[in-house]
Amino acid sequence: MITITDLIHTWPTQSHPTLNIKALHIDKGERVFLHGPSGCGKSTLLGLLAGINALQSGQIKILNTDLSTIKNAHKDRFRADHIGTIFQSFNLLPYLNPLENVTLGCEFSKQRRKRLTDKKTDMTTEATRLLKALGLNDSQLTQHVSKLSIGQQQRVAAARALIGEPELIIADEPTSSLDEDSRHAFIETLFNQAGDYQASVLFVSHDKSLASLFDRQISLLDINGV
Amino acid sequence: MGYDMTLLKLAIKSTLNRKASVLLTLCTIAISVMLLLSIERVRHDAKSSFSNTISGTDLIVGARTGDIQLLLSSVFRIGHTNNAVSWKSYLDIKERKGVAWTIPISLGDSHKGHAVLGTDATYFTHYRYGKKQHLAFQNGRAFHNAQEVVLGSDVANKLHYHIGQQIVISHGMGNTSFHHHDDNPMTIVGILAPTGTPVDKTLHIPLIAVDAMHKPSHTQPMMIGKKPQQNDHAQHQHAEDHNSHHNEHDEHDEHDEHDEHGHPHGTLDSEPSDLVGSPNQITAFLMGFDSPLYTLQVRRNINMYKAEPLLAIMPGLTLRELWEMLDIVEKILLLFSIVVVLVSLLGMLTTLLATLSQRRRELAILRSVGARPIHIFALMSSEAILITFMGCLAGCFLFYGLLFTANPLLQSQFGISLTIGWLSNYELTLLGVIMSAGTLMGLLPAARAYFYSLADGMSIKI
Repeated sequence: MITITDLIHTWPTQSHPTLNIKALHIDKGERVFLHGPSGCGKSTLLGLLAGINALQSGQIKILNTDLSTIKNAHKDRFRADHIGTIFQSFNLLPYLNPLENVTLGCEFSKQRRKRLTDKKTDMTTEATRLLKALGLNDSQLTQHVSKLSIGQQQRVAAARALIGEPELIIADEPTSSLDEDSRHAFIETLFNQAGDYQASVLFVSHDKSLASLFDRQISLLDINGV
Repeated sequence: MGYDMTLLKLAIKSTLNRKASVLLTLCTIAISVMLLLSIERVRHDAKSSFSNTISGTDLIVGARTGDIQLLLSSVFRIGHTNNAVSWKSYLDIKERKGVAWTIPISLGDSHKGHAVLGTDATYFTHYRYGKKQHLAFQNGRAFHNAQEVVLGSDVANKLHYHIGQQIVISHGMGNTSFHHHDDNPMTIVGILAPTGTPVDKTLHIPLIAVDAMHKPSHTQPMMIGKKPQQNDHAQHQHAEDHNSHHNEHDEHDEHDEHDEHGHPHGTLDSEPSDLVGSPNQITAFLMGFDSPLYTLQVRRNINMYKAEPLLAIMPGLTLRELWEMLDIVEKILLLFSIVVVLVSLLGMLTTLLATLSQRRRELAILRSVGARPIHIFALMSSEAILITFMGCLAGCFLFYGLLFTANPLLQSQFGISLTIGWLSNYELTLLGVIMSAGTLMGLLPAARAYFYSLADGMSIKI
């Protein structure tokens, strides 16, 4: 699923590299917990995986596509097609309702829409199904996002990441603003939905208490040779 | 495919989400657009209304002053001509070869602040304005004798005069008339249809009536139609009241209207009689020629006239010169309205830039679902275009609203009749320029958002 070799990344304003990863491999369907203290390069790594930050040296292969060989426009399309992202907080566009926020995940990806068509469903039906599966009720689907609790907002974000079945889900500390019970519940439902179609989940957090829920734990400090 | 629609939908929803600031920006743009369109419409229509003041007249002849001064006094009733044209010269020039018609005019008197013009019957047949339109009567007919007066439409409206009513016209200019009595007033026999020119604000009387007012035998300012024996009485009373003269002006003004008196003079079924009399001089005269070829020749002859110093001007030419003098005012007005539009667009720019930093999260989310930097750029610039477009649209509505409400006022106060039609090509061009300026302004925050979205990646945490 993901193969990283000899990755070195230095931000233009810094003299030392932020990341120096010899090798990292994540399998299809694998749920990986990546942890490390703030500032250790987690976000930089996610930016590189998503193809938003430009690769400087080394190689990142996702689904056998070498990100260093494709153009930026292609990277954006690749990300839209194959990667679902959940942020730490403020995940939703305030001017779209939960349902529209979820379908936004398909708006920029032909492939995600095609997968829905193949499943004989459409964006709205699938968004509704996901939101309900993640625990929202009917009336919440179209109400203003600010009326949802943080936990519910994160569920909407998860649904947006999952819609159209992207092969990789990247979650950047999505549970840090949730209480412990909600964290567990959130991760469970996320796993259930991702597990349905064998998506890989790369979960980044500094909260080690969640680590036991995952197939594998990776400390960025261990693999990062800076 | 379909991204454009998505982006437009996002732009609209995002814009609606920031209603308050967007609405304020929209309002400033709308008001400035309204202002620009209104100023331009007034400017344009004032110009055409101005150049339509007189038409079909080949020459205006008066005592030698300046071209513009002669035009202002004879056509616009602005300023005074100190010198006059002798009646002898008028008769002489009138007989020149090629002269089709002449209209003598005598100015210098007023009635309640409205100019009084002495002329003869040719005025109603040959005076033309606008697109060579003749004067028309809204009511009544031309004057037939020295006791009859024809009003411009504004005079009748403003002073609530009507046909058959009798008024006193006193000698002199200004709003307050001289001491006079209500004997032998003049009868209103005609009211002209509105022309949108100074004619509307003028009272027309026969030359013979003007002459009567100016007779040197009167040591005292006098009224038309006053019986000679009563003139002495007036003089006597005037002397008695000398000390309180000023205080009485208002009172006398109140006495200007005589509709209740029912004097037998100036009946509406009068027979035409001498309208000219034997004047010594007139203020100016208008001339029309059989062929335009005569115009230049006669003009040259008049300007070199031996008997007295005269000046002949071609009204079209002088109108144009006059308008060119006003050009600077016109340009300043235009400049002001352009600055107002610019300021409103800068306001939009400020608002967009100020909200941009708050929206970096929003842009990061869009990037994460696959939006490319160029999409972010398109989203941001389409918002600016949308706001400008809506602002222009609202501005047009306000403009037409203003046009409908202000038109009667402008017509009555300034004689400018605004055309309430579709936007002219020029006005559409102005809107186009505003749209382009708004779009250009929008490119700035869009470009910033573009670079933000390149640099921020997904790591931004607000």
